[in-house]
Amino acid sequence: MALKGKENKPGWIASINPWVLRIVNNPERLAFVLHRITGVLMALIIMAHIYVTGIPAHTGWEAWIEEIQNAHGITPVTLYFFFFAGIAWFHGLNGIRLLLVEFLGLCIGEPEKPKPPYIAPSLKGCQRKLLYLVFALWAILWILTGYILFVA
Amino acid sequence: MVSASKRLLLQYVTAILLIFLLTWHLVIRVPALRGVDTFMETLSAKLVYGEISSYGVLLLVFAYVALLHGFNGLRNVLLEWTGGRYSKPITIIIVILFIVFASLATYTVVGITPPG
Repeated sequence: MALKGKENKPGWIASINPWVLRIVNNPERLAFVLHRITGVLMALIIMAHIYVTGIPAHTGWEAWIEEIQNAHGITPVTLYFFFFAGIAWFHGLNGIRLLLVEFLGLCIGEPEKPKPPYIAPSLKGCQRKLLYLVFALWAILWILTGYILFVA
Repeated sequence: MVSASKRLLLQYVTAILLIFLLTWHLVIRVPALRGVDTFMETLSAKLVYGEISSYGVLLLVFAYVALLHGFNGLRNVLLEWTGGRYSKPITIIIVILFIVFASLATYTVVGITPPG
């Protein structure tokens, strides 16, 4: 196998390489990868967002007003907000799960006697349900955002 | 230098703050809550100026907290991707970026003028 041992090598390619991610039956890994990708995108978008929302202060309101007037329906501006919102919803919802599980130590179950096939208590039950809830709420809130942006 | 455990604590504390700040930031964009018909109307010059002039301090706190959380996270990711080899230049670039964008956000709130 050409990819043998590649998962242990640092580098951004390895962190998104679908052949070494092993996300099948491993939603926590999927959530980790998505949290990382959305996190990097959020950091980049926040910089753009702070620059763009600063336009009225450093070049005046004219450009801002013109942009808003031409941005109804499916336009680059509303699409940008749609993708920004989708990224923020996942990172935020999964972040709340991480705060509960990692920071507060909630929802990870009690240690138990290892009986084969051994699945750690933290990878089933409450934590796993919380993770599915994150994915479900993400879809619902993203659709709702799309409705507010494009339809309402 | 701030220890790694302190920076992780900072990441969690800023995350808790961001839950409330981001919720507020998104809720005020719901058209029905602002008495307008479409999302784009919530971005009208009048409403946006009203927000910046009334909640300027809160917006600034939001910007600083988001930048701290975002750049600290980006630094962690970059250090992992590079195998920790360029930790000093990465930290310096991250600190410079934080100062630049925090200043830009401060200027937006302090230097804003009413729409003409």
